[in-house]
Amino acid sequence: MAIRSPLYPVQVKLGARFTEFAGFEMPIQYSSILEEHMTVRKAVGLFDVSHMSNVWITGPDAEKLITLTTVEDASRIPDGKSQYTVILREDGTIIDDTIFMHLGNQYMMIPNAGMNEIVTCWLNDQAKKHHLKVKAEDVSREYVILAVQGPKSRETLQKLTDTDLSTVQFFGCLFTKVAGVECILSHTGYTGELGFELQITPIARAEKVFSAILEAGKEFGIRPIGLGARDTLRLEKCFMLAGNEFEGGHTPLEATLGWTIFWEHNFIGKETLLKQKAQGTFPKMTCLQCTEKGIPRQHCEIHKDGKPVGMVTSGTLSPCLGIGIAMGYVQHDKREPGSILDIIVRDKPVKAKVVKPPFVPKDWAQKPEAVVT
Amino acid sequence: MANEVREGLRYTKTHEWVKLAGSKAKIGITDHAQEELTDIVFVELPAVGKEVKKGEELCVVESVKSVSEVYAPVSGKVVAVNTKLDDSPEIINEKPYDDGWLVELEVKDKKELDMLLDAASYKKM
Repeated sequence: MAIRSPLYPVQVKLGARFTEFAGFEMPIQYSSILEEHMTVRKAVGLFDVSHMSNVWITGPDAEKLITLTTVEDASRIPDGKSQYTVILREDGTIIDDTIFMHLGNQYMMIPNAGMNEIVTCWLNDQAKKHHLKVKAEDVSREYVILAVQGPKSRETLQKLTDTDLSTVQFFGCLFTKVAGVECILSHTGYTGELGFELQITPIARAEKVFSAILEAGKEFGIRPIGLGARDTLRLEKCFMLAGNEFEGGHTPLEATLGWTIFWEHNFIGKETLLKQKAQGTFPKMTCLQCTEKGIPRQHCEIHKDGKPVGMVTSGTLSPCLGIGIAMGYVQHDKREPGSILDIIVRDKPVKAKVVKPPFVPKDWAQKPEAVVT
Repeated sequence: MANEVREGLRYTKTHEWVKLAGSKAKIGITDHAQEELTDIVFVELPAVGKEVKKGEELCVVESVKSVSEVYAPVSGKVVAVNTKLDDSPEIINEKPYDDGWLVELEVKDKKELDMLLDAASYKKM
């Protein structure tokens, strides 16, 4: 049986169409995926992403545990700051990508939907193994998570909080009140637009915040946004979706997430990564933009000169560009930017060009002609 | 919102409609089908001259999130395809029974037409 968000009745009232994702029944769209996508790029959208996980990490060794189990050295992340990172197995492959927030003497980690048990157990097992005084506690079902994203997101939320949002730096996080309700607010998001995310507990107070945001955003044309547009928005920015991009087991070097690694600390998986880094000839995450009509989808093969050189992990039609876009692993020597590869869609090749991320540049809505094709 | 089921057309259980004119059959997807798909963003039409059997895949209609096969309601040869859909696939959402037609077939076996549903039977589904 799929889990519903605590805001399910509100979603139904708003006309949501539902889909199953990672064991959850969530809105895929309320109106049109294309419209919802554009609303976030041009104005502001409100997402319920309560299917994501929440894990409190508390105790004197909380910082040490995060430093050990992620590729980040948590002593570099001060109170009031959050960080995007990956949790690795000993073989260097990614268990999950996640954000962790430093909030006073504790940390809140946000693993992906359906990963709460795996991540919490992994953290506690490692804590035990390394004799660390720390506890990871899965509180996922106690939180509603909302995301407010788009050029008008700050103006919308500013109406509802006394915190001066212009002083909250990118990836900053803090406890504050929104619509009179205590929450954790972070200047983070998964759309590539200006945006904020709210962690709200107890869940009974969340509907008040949701409704208040919809009201506050009315003058900007706010819409509720489903998972359909969430996927097209993140894909246009080449953000990873763990279930797709790490499927089958991949290291951060393969996933081009090497930039998240702070090498000057000991972490689980480091040895294997160092060996892989020295070797350098592994397939890598690549962004492909179609140069002819056709929509690449997950698991489509990628060919060059009739030979397989990779596979699509995520693909869609880009609402902003009106052309097919894909992310996938491609052999290290076949992915020079500008190279033309063939994505095999229903047995027919669709030509696509290797491009540097993102597909859609920052603030696209302000200057749509700035896309380099 | 009630979907339109147009009178005078024949239908399939897989939500295709058929408009007969002599030996030719114009084919599209119903209002119900386009509403299920929502924004149609790509249509892959067959080549003119292609022979299809009843029940075989005739063409593919894609929305952002899904790929849908459209099945040949009757056997025949493709004599025309709606090329306007190459640049404007959303016409199918706007006018599924008119400008949003997909393919025109030269019907092979007229007896197959009798196996199609009429508007009343399709409505009941």
